[in-house]
Amino acid sequence: MKLEGRTIVKGEAKGEALVTHDNISFMGTINPNTGIVIEKGHELEGECLKDKILVFPQSKGSTGGSYMLYDVVKNGYGPAGIINVMAESIVVIGAIVAELPMIDQIDINKINTGDQVYLNAGEGFAEVENKTD
Amino acid sequence: MKILNLTNEEKNMLQGKQGEMIKKSMEILETLGDIYGAERMIDINNVHSPGVSYRVTGDAGLNFVKEAAYKYNSCSKCIMTLNTIGIDYDKADELGFSKEFQEKQHELLKAYESIGAIGTYTCTPYLISNLPRYGEHIAWGESSAVAFANSVIGARTNREGGPTALAVALTGKAPAYGFHLDENRFGDFLVNVEIELNNDSEYGALGYYVGQIVGDKVPIFDGIKNPTLENLKALSAALASSGAVALYHIKGITPEVIKNGNMLKENYENITYGKEEKEEVLNKFSNKGKVDMVLFGCPHTSIDELKRIALNLKNKNFLSEVWINTSQPIASLGERLGYNKIIEKSGAKIVTDTCPVLSETVRDYDLMLTNSAKMAHYAPGLWNLTTTLLSLEEIIEAAVKGYWGGNI
Repeated sequence: MKLEGRTIVKGEAKGEALVTHDNISFMGTINPNTGIVIEKGHELEGECLKDKILVFPQSKGSTGGSYMLYDVVKNGYGPAGIINVMAESIVVIGAIVAELPMIDQIDINKINTGDQVYLNAGEGFAEVENKTD
Repeated sequence: MKILNLTNEEKNMLQGKQGEMIKKSMEILETLGDIYGAERMIDINNVHSPGVSYRVTGDAGLNFVKEAAYKYNSCSKCIMTLNTIGIDYDKADELGFSKEFQEKQHELLKAYESIGAIGTYTCTPYLISNLPRYGEHIAWGESSAVAFANSVIGARTNREGGPTALAVALTGKAPAYGFHLDENRFGDFLVNVEIELNNDSEYGALGYYVGQIVGDKVPIFDGIKNPTLENLKALSAALASSGAVALYHIKGITPEVIKNGNMLKENYENITYGKEEKEEVLNKFSNKGKVDMVLFGCPHTSIDELKRIALNLKNKNFLSEVWINTSQPIASLGERLGYNKIIEKSGAKIVTDTCPVLSETVRDYDLMLTNSAKMAHYAPGLWNLTTTLLSLEEIIEAAVKGYWGGNI
């Protein structure tokens, strides 16, 4: 299934989808030294972002999130790519600096955790292979 | 898609004629402008930078700022104040912050200083002399200060991250999108506040409830009467914690909605905030037990808050750790006025420049009481504890007894 959206940061990535319908603040939701979600009660609490195609509605919270996204990527525990419903500036800024492939304007209900995703952010699309197919 | 038109000066920057770092900065700003359909850049004279705690930047951000400072000898073109850091600058050893963290933090501060930034180290720059004017285009980070500047002052900023705040400071330019433009400053939600709000924690609860619903959209509040500076500070911080609110209006109170009258978009949505909604937030932060940490000053206290805390702490004695976070200038005034003496006599500590959101915990705590919805939201993940949101008076009573809600 091909999902078309908007290019945010160019680049390609392949990986397993990690999907949440909760918003994410890279400051406060994620531990940048482990890539693990630490926000209590978050849908992804305890999950690790490493090498995943991270799928969530949009960023929220602290403006420290831009550097923290950059840091978690540099530390080797970051996601391989990001898919948003609507890209909010804090995660966009982090993704630009981290050169992390990212698109938005995607109906994320069509992606499930565990799906295989090929993200071609430059062309603005994601190719999703459902786990159950 | 709109096309970003650049002036000759801006084109020169992008082509590297003013150096590599200016080029890199312009590339970041141009990318952002392209994504959000900006048609031009605007001149910016005022930056408040987030990403100043080493806890936030890590080594990646530290090296990014150091490169700007030392490899490219960059210099800020305008006032650039700095957000809260990861240590109390003067009492880092006393409070137990690790040596390694302190060293990295100082490295980062020196790099910022070399760029020409002012070491304010506070999330409330508007209380200590970075106060933009109404309508001024600025580039601010610190989510609570962004919401305050846009909404209470009527200045215009998007939510800048550390890298873009730096890029704007070095170029004096920001892409004209989002909250810089009139058309994006109208309300998407009308929030009918049906109950009286009595203190900062109740303003925080309101902000927290609304932030989760509206995300990065613009709420307009109706029914809020005569809020104080501190009430608005608490509301701004909470809206930007559960959500990504950069701008809100309050009917009859904030300047833009007073000037323009009805600022609701045609197809706005309604939110009702009453007793039930307030309870929902308070229930989320309602842990009980032995109190081992108390936190006031999120965002950093004003001088009046410091005074009120001092008056409430007079002749009290605390066994648990009590922190009052504020900026150095406010603490300095508190010292002269004798507030600090009263506070310290109770066993509480005035901790400047930092807060639990941006520093690493030095001890294990189980339960924190706070009057800040923002702190109640972040501390559980960042300091691995539970939180309870209460009023100043309730907290002090509980901290004296050493427990909250039931028997020891």
